[in-house]
Amino acid sequence: MSDDRIEVRGLTKTYEGGDPRRPALDRIDLDIPRRRFVSLIGPSGCGKSTLLRVIAGLEDHDTGSVTVFGSTPVRMCEAKAVGLVPQTPALLPWLNVRRNVALPSRVNRRAGRGSEDPDHLLRMVGLEDAARRYPHELSGGMKQRVAIARAFGLRPDLLLMDEPFSALDEFTREALQLQLLGLWERMSTTVVFVTHSVREAVTLSDEIVVMSARPGRVHEVLPVGLPRPRDGAVVTGPRMHALEDRVRASLQSAWEAGATPEDLVHQ
Amino acid sequence: MATSTPVRSRSGGEAPARRRGARTRGSALRPGVWLPTAVAVVLVGIAWSATAADQPYLLPPLAEVGAILVEDPLLFLANAWSTLSIALLGVACGAGTAFVLALLMSEVPVLRRAIMPLAVVLNVTPVVALAPALVVAFGFGMTPKVIVTAIITFFPVLINVTTGLRSVSVPVLHVFSTLHASRMEVLFRLRVPSSLPYTLAALRVVFPLSIVGAVVAEFVAAGSSSGLGTMIRNSAATARLEYVYAAVACLAVMGVLMLALITILERRLLFWHESQQRTTS
Repeated sequence: MSDDRIEVRGLTKTYEGGDPRRPALDRIDLDIPRRRFVSLIGPSGCGKSTLLRVIAGLEDHDTGSVTVFGSTPVRMCEAKAVGLVPQTPALLPWLNVRRNVALPSRVNRRAGRGSEDPDHLLRMVGLEDAARRYPHELSGGMKQRVAIARAFGLRPDLLLMDEPFSALDEFTREALQLQLLGLWERMSTTVVFVTHSVREAVTLSDEIVVMSARPGRVHEVLPVGLPRPRDGAVVTGPRMHALEDRVRASLQSAWEAGATPEDLVHQ
Repeated sequence: MATSTPVRSRSGGEAPARRRGARTRGSALRPGVWLPTAVAVVLVGIAWSATAADQPYLLPPLAEVGAILVEDPLLFLANAWSTLSIALLGVACGAGTAFVLALLMSEVPVLRRAIMPLAVVLNVTPVVALAPALVVAFGFGMTPKVIVTAIITFFPVLINVTTGLRSVSVPVLHVFSTLHASRMEVLFRLRVPSSLPYTLAALRVVFPLSIVGAVVAEFVAAGSSSGLGTMIRNSAATARLEYVYAAVACLAVMGVLMLALITILERRLLFWHESQQRTTS
């Protein structure tokens, strides 16, 4: 057990009523060092979101172990050391933007964790002018920025993101990716990022965990050796494209390993 | 501004949803809005007058109904207040109890299994049948009438609030879980506000119902001396139809005012909810 990494050992999980021969997660072994940006990518049903929820302490598992910086996922949540950005922004519609961002500092005060000034957070995501507006007055991209600001609000040791940009248009998505990287570099937190976009994974990550489906397994872990910051020249350069091709090839073989006709229908 | 980052400048490019308050004021003044209603009212008035002139024992002339309302408005106001206070007290007791019980049931499943069947039985029992027994138990004062009204308003609120407390999106619950929010924090910061649209929808049903409850209670609880229900019963017994219809008109106005009140409340409290948003297309 180590203080400076997330360790997943022999993690297996079968959903109730699921096929026990094809668990949602099958003997997952994974190491994520502190302050790393790691993406989980794979075909539908590979269990990447399930793995994220297990690391978040939101779901139980059958066998194996998960330790997060020498602690358990639940104890990490008790200490408010985990930030979560779900696929939908999951804002409280009756609170304005500022109050939504301040929400984590208002619940579970027992943890005694200090938090960032909400106005400062909103400045960092470029939403200081929207502080008094309500979620229904915002575009999808603005809502997701509020959700990101909220998750960074406690300076979490671990930030979990479940396809946070999948519902956005490409232009907004790329802008938010750069913004996220800026925040991450400043906050130096560990990020586990679930995505189904190869480009997104390569742009953002230090490491890409390629998973295969049925059963959900780690197929391959690919390091991304691109320099940071990942701005214009890096993102359009030939190394980037070579890496994208490498990830695609890996995904292809992962998909062939666990493919069934259902996979042809995108969920 | 030269210092703004490229990301920031893009925020203007994302089309924000339409701001609140964009609805046009004075739309009620357009003929297209009020004319159909006005025509319908006039047609009903004509039909009424024709019937009243032909068969005065069926309907009183509208002029007479209006005349007694104008002649002695205090009489109607006093009786309306008597009925209204029963209705409001009944709603306060019935809806209040239902709300508290729904909160308790959402947190304690055992309570839910204990209370729900009883609530259902209470709901299917005709309250009119209970009323005479309540009069025997509590006399001719306000108490039995308030109880009748409370019983009528109890169930819709219980069901709606129970549904509302459960209608919380899973991702938001996950965010609360990763913050390790306590049950009470989840209840009061998340579940109760989420249930507000359901609670107000219940009140929209229950406020007019409370007037029905109060009037029925007045019919049944013989011996009471005030209230529009009592007035209707006594006037009908002496075939003074103009009083009956004047009282009915008062009841209708009360119902409309209550609905207006709820609509204002909904605009205020649910400005963030889909039900209050005008489509922009």
